[in-house]
Amino acid sequence: MTEFLQQLLNGVLLGAIYALIALGYTMVYGVLRFINFAHSDVFMLGAFAAWVSVEKLGLPTRSVPGGLAALLAAMSVCAVLGVVIERLAYRPLRQRSTLTVLITAIGVSLLIQNVAQSPRLGFGPNPRAFPELFPSSQLHVGGLTVSTHQLVVLAVALVLLAVLYWIVHRTRIGTAMRALSFNATAASLVGIDNDRVISFTFGLGSALAGAGGVLYAMNYPSIDPLMGTLPGLKAFVAAVLGGIGNLPGAALGGLVIGLVETFVSGTRLSTFRDAIAFGILIAILLFRPAGLLGRPRVEKV
Amino acid sequence: MAIPKAQRWLLVALVLSGAASAVSGSIDPYFLDVVMGVGVGVVLASSLNLINGFTGQFSLGHAGFMAVGAYTSAMLSTVVAPRMGWGAGALQWVFFPASLVAGGLVAALAGLAVGAPSLRLKGDYLAIVTLGFGEIIRVVLQNVDAVGGARGLTGVPTHTNLLWTFGTASLTVYTVWALLESTRGRGFLAVADDEVAAEAMGLDTTRYKITAFGIGSFFAGVAGGLYAHLKGYLNPGGFSFEKSIEIVVMVILGGMGRHAGVVFAAILLTLLPEGLRELGSRSIPNPFGGPAWSLDWIKDARMILYSLLLILLMLLRPEGLFHRRQPRRPSS
Amino acid sequence: MSASASLLQLTGVTIRFGGLTAVSSVTADVREGELAGLIGPNGAGKTTLFNLITGVYQPTDGRIDFAGSGTAGRRPFHLTGLGIARTFQNIRLFPSLSVAENVRVAFHRHLRHRAWHSILRGRAFLAEEAELAERALELLGIFNLERFRDAPARSLSYGDQRRLEIVRALATRPRLLLLDEPAAGMNPSEKDELMRLIRFVRDRFGLAVLLVEHDMKVVMGICERIHVLEYGRKIAEGSPAEIRADPKVIAAYLGD
Repeated sequence: MTEFLQQLLNGVLLGAIYALIALGYTMVYGVLRFINFAHSDVFMLGAFAAWVSVEKLGLPTRSVPGGLAALLAAMSVCAVLGVVIERLAYRPLRQRSTLTVLITAIGVSLLIQNVAQSPRLGFGPNPRAFPELFPSSQLHVGGLTVSTHQLVVLAVALVLLAVLYWIVHRTRIGTAMRALSFNATAASLVGIDNDRVISFTFGLGSALAGAGGVLYAMNYPSIDPLMGTLPGLKAFVAAVLGGIGNLPGAALGGLVIGLVETFVSGTRLSTFRDAIAFGILIAILLFRPAGLLGRPRVEKV
Repeated sequence: MAIPKAQRWLLVALVLSGAASAVSGSIDPYFLDVVMGVGVGVVLASSLNLINGFTGQFSLGHAGFMAVGAYTSAMLSTVVAPRMGWGAGALQWVFFPASLVAGGLVAALAGLAVGAPSLRLKGDYLAIVTLGFGEIIRVVLQNVDAVGGARGLTGVPTHTNLLWTFGTASLTVYTVWALLESTRGRGFLAVADDEVAAEAMGLDTTRYKITAFGIGSFFAGVAGGLYAHLKGYLNPGGFSFEKSIEIVVMVILGGMGRHAGVVFAAILLTLLPEGLRELGSRSIPNPFGGPAWSLDWIKDARMILYSLLLILLMLLRPEGLFHRRQPRRPSS
Repeated sequence: MSASASLLQLTGVTIRFGGLTAVSSVTADVREGELAGLIGPNGAGKTTLFNLITGVYQPTDGRIDFAGSGTAGRRPFHLTGLGIARTFQNIRLFPSLSVAENVRVAFHRHLRHRAWHSILRGRAFLAEEAELAERALELLGIFNLERFRDAPARSLSYGDQRRLEIVRALATRPRLLLLDEPAAGMNPSEKDELMRLIRFVRDRFGLAVLLVEHDMKVVMGICERIHVLEYGRKIAEGSPAEIRADPKVIAAYLGD
């Protein structure tokens, strides 16, 4: 039973990170109807931004203010990056086919990975140790072991989800985002500046991915330029699972994927855990393409 | 009996491949390796062109099907052939092509298994599902000890030569071309253009898409077999999603659904990294005296240039580099 | 003519999308060789009805019979094979194919050669291809389009694209031809020509035509019987003269 609870806890924490990344995919899909392949690399850069702010800029480690500063730095860097990527690579393609945009997104993803892997321009291909941002100790509650890092993950994820909910439902720009994802043409007709909303969406989604990257790195002690690919794909699966374009769906999907992956890791099938997410994706798309919380669309003829 | 013009070209290509193969003993082995890599690239690009270019589907899992073919034929050569005594001498000339075809058939089965259920998905969804299947294939290969697991499969006999690579390349290009140059084959393009209209004209769009996936995967599997018997070893990591993207880029660069353009792009993109690697190992003399300038940075910048190229291509020429602006010549 | 000569029979056909009932309990028929019309204000469900007849949608309720057998569960390509062909309100040609290829693709259900014949390219295959090329030209000739045979379909003028859609539909050898606003965007003389051609293909190929059209001159000019839809329900059926005099139809068009 304790074992089960421990796994449940680990799964929820992993799921919270996937949820943060999945929200970015889903928000972008909501406003632009395409899969932002480079999102997983923004996630990676979030981890590296925190690493730079500690190792190069001298933020203190193992301190709450230092950790929070690194987290905010990562989120800001990623938000700016997201906006820049959208401006340079995707905006000129606004009227083109989905495939053109998808391929461009793959190109942007490859570009970020390769620049990051370059010893001259980036960080080099080798993994680097990730510093301990927050004070670290193990707490024992009942039979469960919880690290303070895990508590940080939980707290940060919950705060960010609350902030996101507030932005989407209680602010003007959030209302504009929802209007845009409902009907882009109508949104622009009622005076919404679509470009500005799309920029904001990219910034917001990328900031969440950056936070996800930091939280992920805190629990996996090393980071490298290709670290984003797998978590990114899994988070994408989470977004589809929940119903792409649907924010609560992305959070729910992230949780499900995190839990499934953690429980599979505890069995003999653990080496297959990376394939599990894709198995789920395929099953979902075949049996319920609209996802758990999404609504099916009828094609107009 | 006179041979129709199309088959005559195929015959010429096959004879040339045979002739080149006969004199290949005197060719520099590194160069030979690169040239055969070009042949494999042409097979991969042309077969994916049928799926992504002509039929308008978007598969991101071509490397997965290549892996299935590669492992199937390699296992036949390393496990079955020695046990039966088929590996050596003249029998090799029967067994090797048979193992390539077997690899192709198993890959085609995998392609049908992927294609049949996922074809009601469109665009980016299909791309992600095929990507997922490709990754599942890779993870499974990594976990099966009988095929070497994550360490890879070694000791594959290096049967691949110029005849097999370019013979296969010619056959692939010919098959895709001939399939398209017919009233039935024009249906692939119709499906790509407008599925609703294609169904309304009596075309079973699902069947077209499955056919494209089956044939495309078959040739990807054969290419995998050639690759296995060219390199002599296999590593699941070599069939990752990056490999699939590389093939997709060939098809895009060649102008999606252009026969010659895609062949040309496959040649270019296989040679380009080799050329840049070669260039990167050199240095140019410093005209002002002093130490020579190393071109080492090119090695580093290779993949950066590659991804920039992809982005710029989409921004500036999404129809591909070798797209002719005039309409396609009507068939027969 | 008796009801037994119905080629197409709709009985209580209903379709709901979510909470919206787009077509509600429509009963109607089209007889062999008949020129029938389907009219109604915008949003009355005319195109939806076409989509139901051609298998793009499946009815939520009711049944559709074509040539005496039910069409439930059949996919569009299958129904095309049975003899239902259509054109689209928003033209849907194959833009990457030439004009002649657009027509040839529609021969699909009647092809003798298989996919592998095109790889072997034997004599029978080449002969069939030549024959098909000729038949495509013949059909294009009826609509005066044969001079554009090698041009990309998208390069044609709007009116020619509409005509090409009809040629393409005819190439499937239909028994029932559904035309969705064939006269849209045409000028008066083109409309007269279109009416002549529709009558001509009906007589020449012995098929039935059901057309959706907003232009009353065209509908009243060629249709022998007209069905009127409003808000997904059928409100009237009859000859052009009867429809013109029907108070319910007048109310639907002029508003209450």
